[in-house]
Amino acid sequence: METTLTPAAKKRRAEGLPAALLLAPFSAAFLLFFLVPALYTFYMSLTESSLTRTSAFVGLANYATLVQDPSFWSSLWNTFYFALLTVIPLTAIGLVMALLVNRFVRFQSWLQGAFFLPYVLPISVMTLIADWMLQPSSGVINHLVGGQHAWLSDVHWALPAVAIGTVWWTVGFNMLMLLAGLRNIPNELYEAAALDGARGFTLFRSITWPALKPVLGTALLIQLIASLKVFGQTYILTSGGPYNTSRVTLHYMYETAFTQSDAGYAAAVAMAFMAVVIALSLLARAAGRRGA
Amino acid sequence: MAQRRRFIGASLALGAGSTLGLPLLARAQAPVEIRMWTLLSGGDGARMRALVDDFNTSQHAVRVTSTTLKWGEPFYTKLITSSVVGAGPDLATIHLSRLPNLAGGGVLRPIADAELAAAGLRGSDYFPRQWDKSRYEGRNYAIPLDMHPLVLYYNKALAGKAGLLDGAGKLRPIVGYEALTAAFAGVKERTGKAGLAMEASQGSYAIWRLWLSLLNQRKATLIENGRFAYGRAGVEELAKVSAWFTRGYGPAGLDYPASTSQFMGGGAGFMLNGVWEVPELVRATRQKTLGFEYGIVPLPRLYQDASCWTDSHAFAMPANEGKPIAPDKLRGVLAFMAYVSRHSMGWAEGGHVPAYRPVAESAAARALMPNALYAAAAGNVVYDPDGWYMGAAGPVEAMASKFMPGALSGQLTPAEALDMFEKEASRLLRKRPPRY
Repeated sequence: METTLTPAAKKRRAEGLPAALLLAPFSAAFLLFFLVPALYTFYMSLTESSLTRTSAFVGLANYATLVQDPSFWSSLWNTFYFALLTVIPLTAIGLVMALLVNRFVRFQSWLQGAFFLPYVLPISVMTLIADWMLQPSSGVINHLVGGQHAWLSDVHWALPAVAIGTVWWTVGFNMLMLLAGLRNIPNELYEAAALDGARGFTLFRSITWPALKPVLGTALLIQLIASLKVFGQTYILTSGGPYNTSRVTLHYMYETAFTQSDAGYAAAVAMAFMAVVIALSLLARAAGRRGA
Repeated sequence: MAQRRRFIGASLALGAGSTLGLPLLARAQAPVEIRMWTLLSGGDGARMRALVDDFNTSQHAVRVTSTTLKWGEPFYTKLITSSVVGAGPDLATIHLSRLPNLAGGGVLRPIADAELAAAGLRGSDYFPRQWDKSRYEGRNYAIPLDMHPLVLYYNKALAGKAGLLDGAGKLRPIVGYEALTAAFAGVKERTGKAGLAMEASQGSYAIWRLWLSLLNQRKATLIENGRFAYGRAGVEELAKVSAWFTRGYGPAGLDYPASTSQFMGGGAGFMLNGVWEVPELVRATRQKTLGFEYGIVPLPRLYQDASCWTDSHAFAMPANEGKPIAPDKLRGVLAFMAYVSRHSMGWAEGGHVPAYRPVAESAAARALMPNALYAAAAGNVVYDPDGWYMGAAGPVEAMASKFMPGALSGQLTPAEALDMFEKEASRLLRKRPPRY
């Protein structure tokens, strides 16, 4: 084995060990905490399992139940609705914020900090604040708009209210990502355009927008996945109510596993949901590529 | 740098202290350590802590340390998952309504008759209904502590203005739905205050407890042959309760704290709630912060009888699979259970009706106010029907708490709410009980 190695192969082998060592911590963590649990979840989805004990292998029975389960489909619809309510606003408002911050010279870091600040809040704090603001009798929102509206118990307003809270909470991250994109656009482009007499919106349309498109596409994709993964906000703020109209898929999975002790079915929900998220992400990426 | 060194020094000293100190302590006195998990918070939590402290100071052989976990699903999930891997506590508080799920699922350790006898615990010392609920398939799994039924609280000032009190200032008996509705309406019309305060926001459990009580009062069955069988009776009762809110006799959509503050603040003539709010009223009366005199009666008889929902706290031992409890710990756990039973007068001050008869039937307990006002309820209590899916924070109650409040707020018709409830809950009835 050792006799016929070329110098290049020797070098590769010499680098192999350190590379493997450097990769090992991540690979071990990935294997232990992601890949193995994911594969185990897939196995569990083919069984009848309580929280802790697998009692029977049932093949695709859980999936057969799933496709006919109106609760699953309505939770999926609620998830899409939430994504619809958050993805575009989060990206659009993030872009406006990034443009604003980029424009300011004197108070730039102050403004950037103000926009980013909500993002550092833990979800418990964010939901507490949102809950206080939306209180029917004492909340500041009702103080401003008048009336005693119970926003989070209203079938039309529960998800939009959670979505608005989420936008306020996480828009700072998109702002930061888009700001980085803006700062990567070479200044010479703007200077050259200015020499040619371009100004204001023309500059944005002809330089900023095309140059920012790849970053925007990435931001949208990350946001889409994040929004589909919603759980904490609706779990804490509405518990999925009123009458399950704001119960998202991960919440349904949680209830199935922990309240109903049906971990096998919950695993099937998880696998189906993962397939949906992957499919949507690929679709969004393809659409983004065609657009760019 | 200097600071860090000092810190390291301090922690080394601490470490040394504890490793050297422990054996010394152990030699002086080695009490058996019992770990208990409870789901009791607020006044119940404080009262249980007092009982634990009293027990710990009453003897030196056993030391109980108690940990409070979040009520409801989080508590039961932790109890179940820890017990099956042998990492559970030695002792836990549970609801008797959850016993079929926990005992049937293999989460609890049965308590043998000989073990009970050795600890001086006798089944006949507990009320038969509660003792019966502590058993599953012929074996005993729990020691009942109390029952905490649904009762009707009233504000004497407002009820008096509405002409609902007798000469002695007590609520004149209310019998029948019309009479109860008229009482709520009377308070609303004569005083301008709410007739009824009841938790009714989404996720509320009160409506399930009331609805189940009313179904029992009119002898309608909830589940028969693995199907929901309440039929029209269920829709009618939900509609009747909803009418109190949609007609404005009670504010719609109050969450739990808002509903109790509505009553405690003098803003409602009546409150439908469990007896666990009694300590708050007692405390406010003692501190003269309650602006009115209050009274309590058992849930009124609206139909054939005065059935009222209840649940019971009880002590149970997790099975802790693969790690059976040591004999000295078992003795300690049983000694603690027996101690709390005998001292459950302290627990009665939490509004609960003790399950231990020598205490419950003692002159002191019979004279305890305001408990004596609703003591009669104990004869009419009904539990969630047996089933792994039933009971406190179990899946059926969780589903009911999602849909039934929708009818109270008028966002769903009672028929719609029950239809949605049944669609989700029927799946549970068809499923095999989980083994954990």
